Amino acid sequence: MLQIELTTQLRRLRSLLVYGGLAAIIIIAGLTEASKAGGKGGPATFSALNFTEAGLNFLDPVLLGLVIALLGSVIGGSDRDWGTLRYLYVRPVSRARLVTGKWWALVVCCALAMIVYLGFSLVTGLVVFGWHPYHRAGSTALSAATAFVGVLEAGGYVMACMLSIGVLALALGLLMPRSAEALAIALAFLVGSVIIDNFKSLHDLVVILPVHYWPRYADLFQSGSSGGGALGLGLAVQAATIVVVLGAAYAILARRDPAA
Amino acid sequence: MSDTVAVAAHELSKSYGRHRAIEDVSFEVRRGQICGLLGPNGAGKTSTMRVLVGLSRPDHGTAQLLGEPSQLAATVLARVGVAIDGPAFVPHLSGHRNLELLWRAGKRRWPPPALEPSLELAGLGDALDRKVKSYSMGMRQRLMLAQALMGAPEVLILDEPANGLDPGEVRKLREHLRRLAADGTAVLISSHLLAEIEMLATHCVVLKEGTLVTAGKLEDLLGTGAYEFEVEDAGRAEEALRAMDGVKSVETRGDRLIVYAPDRTATELNQALVMAGVGVKAVRSTRSLEDVFLGLVERNSAAN
Repeated sequence: MLQIELTTQLRRLRSLLVYGGLAAIIIIAGLTEASKAGGKGGPATFSALNFTEAGLNFLDPVLLGLVIALLGSVIGGSDRDWGTLRYLYVRPVSRARLVTGKWWALVVCCALAMIVYLGFSLVTGLVVFGWHPYHRAGSTALSAATAFVGVLEAGGYVMACMLSIGVLALALGLLMPRSAEALAIALAFLVGSVIIDNFKSLHDLVVILPVHYWPRYADLFQSGSSGGGALGLGLAVQAATIVVVLGAAYAILARRDPAA
Repeated sequence: MSDTVAVAAHELSKSYGRHRAIEDVSFEVRRGQICGLLGPNGAGKTSTMRVLVGLSRPDHGTAQLLGEPSQLAATVLARVGVAIDGPAFVPHLSGHRNLELLWRAGKRRWPPPALEPSLELAGLGDALDRKVKSYSMGMRQRLMLAQALMGAPEVLILDEPANGLDPGEVRKLREHLRRLAADGTAVLISSHLLAEIEMLATHCVVLKEGTLVTAGKLEDLLGTGAYEFEVEDAGRAEEALRAMDGVKSVETRGDRLIVYAPDRTATELNQALVMAGVGVKAVRSTRSLEDVFLGLVERNSAAN
């Protein structure tokens, strides 16, 4: 099912435009930031690695979340949109195989989005700013090697975070009549979560929102910080969200009459 | 083998909310039979087919395919070819790629055993390598038939397969289905084209408002109790026949009367007309499926 999902999704113009758009935003951002090359306050304070980390900050949570929610909703709902779901069921494809295939397709598409992001950020940053140690105002510089590993780890962490919104969109895509409705609800959840995250008075609610933990990858770029504990809790919340949402979607799908 | 029950519906009932789609529908289709599933719009034909292939869960009753219970994604469906609720494909992929993906979805090696004859029937030629979104309705329909037939299924469940096909294509489909049935395939086919079903089917199931009106051999349905009278005074003849016990329906078409009276012989009916002073020019003991179908539906409505 994974191969089928990937064939149907990755050969789609909409998916290619999403990845292309992501790459275009990074290139445009690189060009507009080009004036920082060579650095304010000393030589080479802004490097390819700074640009990549800053890009994560710019894209996460809403922009990258939107991209992944879009991919999740179409992976979840396109069979229903096209009417091909009934022909998959009579092949026969079980609900469990369908949901599992869609989940792994989301993982691959999400990984591809991160590869596009990290790849284009590093190459654009390299061309515009060059390869230097990672500098941050008021902090000791990280070596390029340490910062590069940090970028990869941050990419992995952000991908796990994005999977939590992606799986919500996927689940809604499976359950709603159209993928557009699934995308709208997933985005409303994303934007609502970002807004609520700013309310300190709603702390008890905020701590269970996956979005609350998304910016924690920045700890990886603090000198002397391992970032492990903070990221561990963040990863646990994302994993719990994924398990609960996917499990609930499967349970609803299993109870529902397919023709309903 | 030819006597094996391939499709069995036993007291199937299904409602969607407060709408009763089918109620207590029972029938069987055996290997080698071509069974036409007939009924007016909203009779429950597609609902019945959905339940049979597991796309809908019955509220009551059981559905079996090739002796195994049918439910969503049941393994027995791998031996069944299905075309239901119209064609549906991934629009940005080619026809060929769509067929391949659907086949591989069932965890099977490409190509399927009956790909070539199915593609020949579809007659799409080079268009098979074009994206499906550029296809006409008829082309999509033919591609859908190819996907139902490509696996050499033991059972075929086809919902309005002739929709969008031109007369030549309908004829090709009819001949193809006849060959498959002769080789032991059970075919359940719903259609509004009664003349087509009359030419193709060996058996017939008639539904109306979700309930079974009749089921059986087509020749029995067409031959028993169905008569066409050519008379001199159609008005008087109709009056005389309607007054007779055992006459279920009388339909006047100019100087012809289509009479459905399963408990009466042609001689008895002829005698009644003569007694009423109506000159009878000719009597035929068969009707078209259309006559039978309309008669049955009308009778069923009157009974309700």
